[in-house]
Amino acid sequence: MELIQQTVNALSIGAIYALIALGYTMVYGVLKLLNFAHGEMFMLGAFFSYWLIAQVVGSSETLSFLQFVGIGLSILFSCLLVGLVAMLLERIVYRPLRGKPRLSPLLGALGMSIVLQNVVQISVGPGIFAYPTLFGSTRIEIGGIGINRTAIVIIGLSVALMAALQVFLQRSRTGVRIRALAEDHEIARLIGIEINKPIAAIFFIGGALGALGGVLYAANYGVMQFSMGTIVGLKAFTAAVLGGIGSVPGAVLGGFLLGLLETFAAGLLPKLTGGLIGTEYRDVVAFAVLIVVLIFRPSGLLGRPEGTGEASDKKDF
Amino acid sequence: MKKVVIAVAGLAIISGATSASGQDAGTFHIGAAAPLSGPQAIFGQGLTNGMQLYFDQLNAAGGLPGGHKVELVKADDRADPREGVLVAQKFCDDEQMIGVLAHFNSGVTIPSLDVYGGCSMPQVTVSSNPQVTQLGFGHVFRAANDDYAQAQLSASYAIETLKEKRAAIIQDKQAFGEGVAKIFEDKFKALGGEVTSVSGVNSTDVDFGPVITSLKAENPDMVYVGAVMPQLALIVRQMREQGIKASYFVPDGGFTPDLFAQAGKDNAEGTLITFQVPPYDSKPELVAFAKAYREKFGKEPDTYDAYGYLAAWIVGETLKGMSKADVNRENLIKALHATNLKNSLLGIDVSFTEHGDLKGGLAFLYKATDGQFKLVK
Repeated sequence: MELIQQTVNALSIGAIYALIALGYTMVYGVLKLLNFAHGEMFMLGAFFSYWLIAQVVGSSETLSFLQFVGIGLSILFSCLLVGLVAMLLERIVYRPLRGKPRLSPLLGALGMSIVLQNVVQISVGPGIFAYPTLFGSTRIEIGGIGINRTAIVIIGLSVALMAALQVFLQRSRTGVRIRALAEDHEIARLIGIEINKPIAAIFFIGGALGALGGVLYAANYGVMQFSMGTIVGLKAFTAAVLGGIGSVPGAVLGGFLLGLLETFAAGLLPKLTGGLIGTEYRDVVAFAVLIVVLIFRPSGLLGRPEGTGEASDKKDF
Repeated sequence: MKKVVIAVAGLAIISGATSASGQDAGTFHIGAAAPLSGPQAIFGQGLTNGMQLYFDQLNAAGGLPGGHKVELVKADDRADPREGVLVAQKFCDDEQMIGVLAHFNSGVTIPSLDVYGGCSMPQVTVSSNPQVTQLGFGHVFRAANDDYAQAQLSASYAIETLKEKRAAIIQDKQAFGEGVAKIFEDKFKALGGEVTSVSGVNSTDVDFGPVITSLKAENPDMVYVGAVMPQLALIVRQMREQGIKASYFVPDGGFTPDLFAQAGKDNAEGTLITFQVPPYDSKPELVAFAKAYREKFGKEPDTYDAYGYLAAWIVGETLKGMSKADVNRENLIKALHATNLKNSLLGIDVSFTEHGDLKGGLAFLYKATDGQFKLVK
């Protein structure tokens, strides 16, 4: 029983990791860039939506139908806004650094992460903000297994969007271009694929999904802070690596797997080891598993093996 | 480096000269150091206002037996350890100074101990870090509880008043969180309670779902959490969302409106919080203190201001028991070690342990009720 309950817990955090991991993996797949500013898209999503929702809801205690629609639109709008921020970041920082040694855009990304965090810290302060419970905290009990409404929204929305993304990448023209670029940058250019638009699209989609992750995360735990993107971003990055960075299904798999690993490490290990390994070891366990996976499968669970003589490999540091 | 030393020495001479000039030789000086500027100025000013209020009352009533007055000499330590040490040296060099009420921040108090110890200066502090009294200095007294002692009140209230038997403990592996959790655990067990589990979490965590799911299976009567905000709010929120109805005890970090904002008012309802200060309307002595404070400073006393008064009161009342000829720094240290004062402002009797900690507790238990904190014990 407890096992099923822990699995339910794991799914909601895993879904959020997966949403954010998609942004890391798509950018890496095409540009071989570790976009460390991606965690800040997550944070910006929470802050933009917080502000917009405050405008819609005002001080009213109960919500009218129109305000519900307003909240939905606020979330949508903040995701689009963050998508634009991510595109802008690509245009201003990463595009001029494209083709340079891989260390340069990586440092650019780290720098942008610091800049964005500090901008938010200076403009709203370093405090912790109480984020509204958007979907209600009512708990639904089914045969002793409880799940709250926010968790249902998180899992439902994430799975739907990940499926939609997969369809988009497989079926749409932009999706085909993105995949071609991920397959081989040089060849794609040689056969006349325009590269800037698909890359901008990737940043937009990744940023928007990351922002949605931020909204859902803040609504689930009820708090947000300028630095919230650092830890969660790192976890999502780990999820992307675990699943195989560059692979979209890998990011989803990695996200859920990391969620499960963490939850079981925190919830069950103390019991299995008689308290010898406490819940505080959950990150240790999660990262230990990551290391073991990488030893046996260096490109992650679903990743393509690297070192196939692609032009991009030769640029490695 | 040499220039700095000269500058410091020069500063000490000048300030020593200014404070010595124009004073009548029968006046005793008591030093007060706290952050009087910068972001923590509000605490330091409130604290020293409390001290000022006591000494003004003392002098207005004729001073010490024999008519000697006590003058409070204030200094700004800017909450900065380096500044604190300079202030300490300055106080040591003031020959009329027989004791200090310093400092506010534990990080400033700890390095100052060495300086005050070197000139045998009686030092009464409100800093709450347990280290302050545990470093082996004989001259320091704490007119407040250490950080961890509050957990004992939670344990005894749970067992004696609420008749709870089984407690689960969560702590964040930080010095404070682990410290209070340990004190709670020891006291709870000593009173016959059973601790079902102690879970460590990371201080940056926000997702406590897995830990809480395991707690639920243990079905404890109460949960004690040794941590700070926002974890205190997040844990109770996620506990209530998972349907755990056990009573919820937290240390002083939870005494903030953020508890209601971050946990949700309904989830926070009933949370039991220990805090060092009683409300100013809870006792006639405190009502009188608040009234005198308002008349003198034109505003309501803040949370810690009563502690300034308490610290000054301890020194003043101890001095009253000494004859004029005996009053010097060494003798005041001895007198403070032996002091036994009744009916303090905060309602406790004051005497010190050999380390200089207050004997007996000085903590108050509040219950979160309808968006407010209500005193229960």
